[in-house]
Amino acid sequence: MMRRSLGIRHLVCGSCNGCEHELNTLVSSYYDVTQEGWDFVASPRHADVVTVTGPMTESMREAADATVAAVPKPFIVVAVGDCAAGDGPWSGASCAGTGAGVELNAAATIRGCPPTPDAMKDGLREAARKLSEY
Amino acid sequence: MMSETIWIDDPALLRARVVAESRRSVLLGAYAGLPNELHYAFLDSSGAYAFSHRLAAGVKARAVSREIPALSWDEREMAQESGIVFDEPADDRPLRAVAGRMPQAIVANGPGLMHFVVGPVHAGIIEAGRFTFSSGGETVVHLDAQLGYAHRGVEKHCRGVHALEAARLIARICAGCGASRSFAYARGVEALAGVILAPEVEFARLILAELERVHNHVGDLAASASSAGWMPGFIMGMNLKERAMRLCGIASGHRLLFDAIVPGGVSETVFADCATFYSEFVVLAGEIRRFLARLFTHRSVLSRWRHAGVLRAEAAQAFGAVGPAHRASGGSIDVRAYAPYGAYAQLRATPALAKHGDVMARCTVKHDELLDSLKLVQETWNRLGGAPLPSRIRFAPREGVAVAAVEGPRGAETVMLHIAPDGRLSRLHVVSASYRTWPAVAFAMKENIVPDFPLVNKSFNLCYACVDR
Repeated sequence: MMRRSLGIRHLVCGSCNGCEHELNTLVSSYYDVTQEGWDFVASPRHADVVTVTGPMTESMREAADATVAAVPKPFIVVAVGDCAAGDGPWSGASCAGTGAGVELNAAATIRGCPPTPDAMKDGLREAARKLSEY
Repeated sequence: MMSETIWIDDPALLRARVVAESRRSVLLGAYAGLPNELHYAFLDSSGAYAFSHRLAAGVKARAVSREIPALSWDEREMAQESGIVFDEPADDRPLRAVAGRMPQAIVANGPGLMHFVVGPVHAGIIEAGRFTFSSGGETVVHLDAQLGYAHRGVEKHCRGVHALEAARLIARICAGCGASRSFAYARGVEALAGVILAPEVEFARLILAELERVHNHVGDLAASASSAGWMPGFIMGMNLKERAMRLCGIASGHRLLFDAIVPGGVSETVFADCATFYSEFVVLAGEIRRFLARLFTHRSVLSRWRHAGVLRAEAAQAFGAVGPAHRASGGSIDVRAYAPYGAYAQLRATPALAKHGDVMARCTVKHDELLDSLKLVQETWNRLGGAPLPSRIRFAPREGVAVAAVEGPRGAETVMLHIAPDGRLSRLHVVSASYRTWPAVAFAMKENIVPDFPLVNKSFNLCYACVDR
């Protein structure tokens, strides 16, 4: 059981909040991720996984880098949503980056605009598998 | 909805008219148009209109924010994004970060006062913002809320995009109020082209807009149960929010109603499965009513909600708060009832009102609005009768300027759009209900204790993405 447990820290980098609406439903009884041994943690210091959303913005870049740098190793960055994957609707906008997942070296990507809660659970399971190989 | 533009050449007269109009009718927002054009948009019971002014080259614009504090953010944004120079604005800092650096926060200084910063990264699954508290021990004396971390350059990115294709982008500026924004945008584009929709399509749009209110208000009340310490209420509420999002998915093909309302009508995926939609709606409506009955009889929750985060009527008015925040502080404007649009001319929304301006008042307004929304959906569905919806009207966008506002979950969602002769957007400006209301949130924290910030904040539950754009 311990092998599967994940501390997930979420990092918003210019998302429209659609991915956050969906991530928040993961705590409802329909998806109840605590049954998987997963928990959304309040500090990057407690995290194994950093989920990132949004295209990355100029004003978030420094705080995003500092947050990821604060996570103890080993950890894994997961891009959630098309913006983080690098080809969302704001790709190419003047203050948007190349995708939060691309810029922060995501090892897994969950597709969708936004991804469904089931897709998020699948993606996080894959992240847990990859992390166990680190 | 077709908006009127009144050009005023005399800068002194413009300033006087803007001040007078801000007190008389609903201020939607101000923005800089094409080089050196200033636009001040308002709403009265006959619809939206704007005062516009062409600024002579090299001349400073006259700031209004010292008399109308609600316009301070608009002026700061015009200065930062469009290079407009104002004489004596109330606050001359840029609204957002400059080259990745947030401007200095405003703090209160004095014996026994300390300052601390929270954000931009927060502990929950929430958007980014920087909050600088000035407090004496536990009591907050001043709060400066600095947003802008989701600034992607949305308005600039939409420039030059064909007005029909831009609808897909408009839907994705901010998820919490996306359907309402798509609704306002579609109305603006349609008004310029003289497109009139079939009554059934207007009914469908009303239902979609109310579903957005339902999933937001249920989520807000769940969060307000959580911040009052009642976790079973939080889980019950989050389960119902999930169910409401599933219902949005059944109604439109998208759980957050993206692309459901489009210029010319609604997407072909809307009400593709009428029978499932209606049976699910009836069950969910009953469960939401039962949840509200339990939540609003939970004595310790109500005790935590009372007297917390009081936003007085004068402050709500001065900062230009809209929506539930405005109506919980003695205001009466609900765009659906004040300047009815689409099907709201027939199916009247009843504005929910409260006076005390505390967390309790804001939650009560959302409670009453939820019940009214469920009633409106039922009544509208009865009129629609499950008949197939007329397909989307194909039309070519026409040149012009339009301002359109609809009542979203958090208040007036306004879109200002300029269409060029080739059908492309030459300027787009978005003023969200959250943009109008954020300055009031910071004010509502005064004299509250720091640990009550989540409680007070969640009773507004404003978005960031539509503010930052």
